[in-house]
Amino acid sequence: MPGRVGLKICPDLLGYLAKDVRSIVITGTNGKTTTSRMVEQTLISSGVSYFANKSGANMMNGITTEFAVNATLTGKPTKKFAIIESDEAAFKTVSKYIDAECVVATNVFRDQLDRYGEITHTLNNIRIGIENSPNATVCLNADCSLTASLREELPNDLILFGVNVPIYKKTIREASDAPYCIHCKHEYEYEYITFGHLGKYRCPNCGYERPEPDVKVTRVISSDADSSTVMIDAFGSEQVATVNLPGGYNIYNAAACVAVANAMGFGTEKAVGALADFECGFGRMEKFELDGTETRMILIKNPAGCNQVLNFLSNISEKTLFVCCLNDNYADGRDISWIWDVDFESLCDISDNITGVLVSGIRADDMAMRFKYAGIPEEKIEVIKDYEKLIERFTAQDEPVYIMPTYTAMMDLRAMISKKYGYKNFWE
Amino acid sequence: MSEKKINICHLYPDLLNLYGDTGNIICLKSRIERRGIECSVTGLSVGEKLDPSKYDLFFIGGGQDFEQDVLIGDAETNKKAGIKEAMEDGKTFLAICGGYQILGDYYETWDGNKMKFMGCIDYFTKGHPDRMIGNYMFTCDALDGEKIVGFENHSGKTYLGSGVDSIGDVLKGFGNNGEDGREGMHYKNVFGAYCHGPMLPKNPKFCDLLISTALERKYGSASLEPLDDTLENNAHDYMVARLSE
Repeated sequence: MPGRVGLKICPDLLGYLAKDVRSIVITGTNGKTTTSRMVEQTLISSGVSYFANKSGANMMNGITTEFAVNATLTGKPTKKFAIIESDEAAFKTVSKYIDAECVVATNVFRDQLDRYGEITHTLNNIRIGIENSPNATVCLNADCSLTASLREELPNDLILFGVNVPIYKKTIREASDAPYCIHCKHEYEYEYITFGHLGKYRCPNCGYERPEPDVKVTRVISSDADSSTVMIDAFGSEQVATVNLPGGYNIYNAAACVAVANAMGFGTEKAVGALADFECGFGRMEKFELDGTETRMILIKNPAGCNQVLNFLSNISEKTLFVCCLNDNYADGRDISWIWDVDFESLCDISDNITGVLVSGIRADDMAMRFKYAGIPEEKIEVIKDYEKLIERFTAQDEPVYIMPTYTAMMDLRAMISKKYGYKNFWE
Repeated sequence: MSEKKINICHLYPDLLNLYGDTGNIICLKSRIERRGIECSVTGLSVGEKLDPSKYDLFFIGGGQDFEQDVLIGDAETNKKAGIKEAMEDGKTFLAICGGYQILGDYYETWDGNKMKFMGCIDYFTKGHPDRMIGNYMFTCDALDGEKIVGFENHSGKTYLGSGVDSIGDVLKGFGNNGEDGREGMHYKNVFGAYCHGPMLPKNPKFCDLLISTALERKYGSASLEPLDDTLENNAHDYMVARLSE
């Protein structure tokens, strides 16, 4: 880790390295990685030089490392742009050194509370980060009452993005992370909800309400297991955009990407082109084939994100095998209680299509029990703690497989798949 | 099929629903219904008056400071009298983390600000700058020392008054305050604990204790048919083994 060593020798190393780079910083609870990849494709299409920190390396050390390897020995940057995905807690610190040209806050949901603390604490970290970025155009999710509140008293240029229509015909049952007004603590009224606490909210008591976004999805034209097609209105001009990833949450990521493209001067069209072209991978609905078995990997890390995955999965109409790997290492969140805030019950709607649920990971026993209480028949639940046996089990059958691992479980699983199939980092 | 029915009151389900505590309701309902006993769950939130005669078992979960501020006024006007009446009447309660603290007398922040709580039972909580976080394990006196496992995450230190029992002794972790080796509160049929996890699914004996207590109070007798708890016991025993290392 050159970043860690460098920071010891020179605490302002990051500030020095980042000085002449046009930086885009992306933070928020969910959607950081996908939005970053969408923005990356926008920059590729625009033909500019850039670098980006890879998923997972989104804390101070990892970010400094990325700037260091993209600089000459004397510290001059070799690339013009940087796309930096920053952990919400790290953003507060990182922002002291990086003079961002654009900051994106995707949303604020409950996350691993043992690491981040309360949701308002996360919001405050983002607020401090933005205050440290006086020259940035700030792109905020208008539909998240918490994130949108950051715009108040902010001197920065702003671009608000959002979705002007409900996304799903039927949404799953989930607790709102923000049912009460951030200002006066009165219950919000909603004209519609897209998912979670996102939607068109208004406080009947103090009048705090969703602002009209500058970049907005005005219609969901179609959506299936591979992509969505939507109408996007950016500053009054409408375009049809195809988003090369399924799921309503990726429609928000797409709107965020269009906001960034406008903030940085690349324009809406470049972003819209990128949305159709980009491939995300790395556990974001990532597709690969193992011994002829079609496999998709979807990282799960908190209730809101996982509920969105289930919103998608509970609409599957083919026979499917599910695999769920739950770890409780620091990077996963040591408290696994959150699996009870996820509506796994929604899988019962498609129970005829579920050929089995395999559970693995350090906390496989807790996960198995969760599926039992969600109403999955016990004979369909199998605990296989050994990853090699797990992979053998699901590649020995023909139905498509959806793997839902937490972060470190995903890394272990990848390592085992690479070892077994001789792929060298098959996901890159 | 018996004619028995347990009515559960879930207090502030939209506000006090942190860390999967709702899993306790899922677990209670499932374990009651699998015994052929009817079960209803009613959520009561801000603005709704509690009529204690309608319910046999009460659950109150944990919340963040923001949510606790939202409900504290309502708790005083709409819930407190009913809760007190139900408690003294021998009804069964489970209160977790923030919900546990709120039933006590007050919360004093570490810099000295006192916030008056419901004062239903004699104990109080003092804020502390360092959080007590991690998997933990304690005994349950009411179950002859059965080990309870879960996850604690609190900055408040709770101190019990002299007439109030704990649930048991801390075997691993902090418990009420990290000082006196005790965890939770037990008064009549009221239980409070810092135990997320959630508490009931992987401690099925404790869940059944709550159910049989509520049945006994209502029908005078309670013998629960045993259930197949293989998965539950696996999850319980895994954590006991891990914390005993």
